[in-house]
Amino acid sequence: MAHVSQRPVGEPGNLTAAGLLVPATIFVAIGLLVPIAILFRYSLNAFVPGKLMVDALTIANYVKFFTDPFYLQVLWRTVRVAVACTIFCLIFGFPLAYVLARTQSRHKNLLVMAIVLPLFVGNAVRAAGWMVAFGSKGFVNASLMGMGLISVPIEIMYTEMAVVIGIIAVNMPFMVLTLQSVIEGIDRNVEEAAFSLGAPPMTMAIRVLFPLALPGILAGVILTFILAMNAYATPVLLGGPKFQTMGPLVFSTFAQQNNWPFGGAVSFILMTVTLILTVASSLLIRRRYA
Amino acid sequence: MASLTLDGLTKSYGDVAVVKSVSLDVRDGEFLVLLGPSGCGKTTTLRMIAGFVPPSGGSIRIGDQDITGLPPWKRNAGLVFQSYALFPHMTVAQNVAFGLEMRKTARSEVAPRVAEALRLVRLDGFGERYPRQLSGGQQQRVALARALVIRPDVLLLDEPLSNLDAKLRLQVRLEIRALQQQTGLTTVMVTHDQEEALTMADRLVVMSDGAVRQLGTQSDLYERPADLFVADFVGRSTMIAGTVTAPGAFRSDGGLVLTCPASAVKGPATIALRPERLTLGPAAHGLDNHVPGAVSFVSYLGAMLDVHVRLNATDHVVVQVPNRSDGLAPAVGDAIEVGWPASACLVFPREAI
Ligand SMILES: Nc1ncnc2c1ncn2[C@@H]1O[C@H](COP(=O)(O)OP(=O)(O)OP(=O)(O)O)[C@@H](O)[C@H]1O
Ligand SMILES: [Mg+2]
Repeated sequence: MAHVSQRPVGEPGNLTAAGLLVPATIFVAIGLLVPIAILFRYSLNAFVPGKLMVDALTIANYVKFFTDPFYLQVLWRTVRVAVACTIFCLIFGFPLAYVLARTQSRHKNLLVMAIVLPLFVGNAVRAAGWMVAFGSKGFVNASLMGMGLISVPIEIMYTEMAVVIGIIAVNMPFMVLTLQSVIEGIDRNVEEAAFSLGAPPMTMAIRVLFPLALPGILAGVILTFILAMNAYATPVLLGGPKFQTMGPLVFSTFAQQNNWPFGGAVSFILMTVTLILTVASSLLIRRRYA
Repeated sequence: MASLTLDGLTKSYGDVAVVKSVSLDVRDGEFLVLLGPSGCGKTTTLRMIAGFVPPSGGSIRIGDQDITGLPPWKRNAGLVFQSYALFPHMTVAQNVAFGLEMRKTARSEVAPRVAEALRLVRLDGFGERYPRQLSGGQQQRVALARALVIRPDVLLLDEPLSNLDAKLRLQVRLEIRALQQQTGLTTVMVTHDQEEALTMADRLVVMSDGAVRQLGTQSDLYERPADLFVADFVGRSTMIAGTVTAPGAFRSDGGLVLTCPASAVKGPATIALRPERLTLGPAAHGLDNHVPGAVSFVSYLGAMLDVHVRLNATDHVVVQVPNRSDGLAPAVGDAIEVGWPASACLVFPREAI
């Protein structure tokens, strides 16, 4: 006869809980923290051409990054693009998420599918699609010229705008789905209460909807910002060789220049900057609305 | 404060009419209750008054201003939801102050008016709490204070008590009624609880299937129901189906020959009998109708007993008698006589329900 526990059902003991958490903890430690630790250790090594990595304890790689205007330019461009993408995703994503959350339509599932569908196509394939659209004979220029709005094709490919549009398209589903789930949890009657007390729609949104959607706004902003900071395929394909951002820089430093210590430093800087800006924006949004 | 007039108000979703040409006149300061079974269109009607559902036809007036086309935030209606719908991120005081801020009330005036509204609902001292720190009854009172503080033209309540437990419901019911009388607000409340409706209303509207069946006071509805539906829905009735054969003469499908009011129209009809208008035992003998029967069931209600009496294979009646401890309580199986005056018969044409 097996031992019968005296604990009430549904109240796991501490031992069980700990037991359940162990695999996840080990996975996070090995899968995430260990590589980061190794990377950080690498970033303190010295690089000698021909010999690759040499054991050392130096901050030379970090000094190199922060004293070279080229690298600072790359970092600044990455942050600029990521911030722009995140803001646009929030501005365009919120109304979309709201409609999606509040619609009574029978076709709601189709709408959600339409939002998710782009995720079925990999980033690289999608960027290739944008290349076709943005090219000088592409869909965008062809339509604009067809409508007679422009006479000479405008340069969209290999500009910052192309990259921003490309990343927004990639990140939008994440923003919309995150916001939608939070908005769905907000009682519709609360909005109606605000209306009946005399608040026009915009006032209602600012005073009631946004503060209540704050957890979703934060999650959406963090998610899309991190994705934008680390974008790889989109800036490479739509920005071209001269449009360097941090993601591609990490890759080329590791894989093309084989400079592992400097690659480690670049990765570490990217991670730290992302973390700091994420925390800063969270605090800012929180202070603004709560 | 003002009167509220609905004129031929109609709402259809696709081909389905859920509110069918409802016309009502709510007088200044009156407490009107919309009563009806689930799904009959009460909430839809109230939401049209509040401005959340655009009517498919008809008009709504407050005083003599037509508000049919106004958005909710331009109607001066205080709305209380079944789910309270307090702003969870604001304190009680901020919740109550919200409507005043929207009206650009002078800052110096806001605090005293919020305090006054909270005192009115006996929640002074709760201003700094958040809704989640209040009980259901307290949240309901905050919702009420929030609606009252803006001094609305009409107060709209959608089943405001249905989330409260039975005891609290009785208490808040009286409080809402007292507050309404104190403030003299024109009020429309929706409920499907007829006891609630009967105790709170000045007048009641019975709706079914999107249409108004009857509008009147408690005694109008109870003693002079307009149709079989109202007789059945308001209070309790037992029905006897049959035919009016001649003025004042009724023959039930089960073969009983009864005397009913002479005004009853000839043809297939149903008689509705209120349980408390019937008499049991020897006293039944002198009444217009007296029929022998057998007790089939006795249900104990405390102060009262419901005695179900089978009169024949098809007809039976429920008689309500006081629960006296004189040892004469009928028992199941007893042969007993049931009697009632002709005036107790509410006669309706058969197809009415
Ligand atoms: N948006 C809608 N689309 C289609 N039908 C609707 C819609 N809203 C309500 N209805 C229908 O209208 C009818 C009336 O609904 P309503 O909510 O007014 O009923 P109610 O009298 O308040 O019922 P309850 O007592 O259950 O709250 C119902 O049959 C409902 O299914
Ligand atoms: Mg309802």
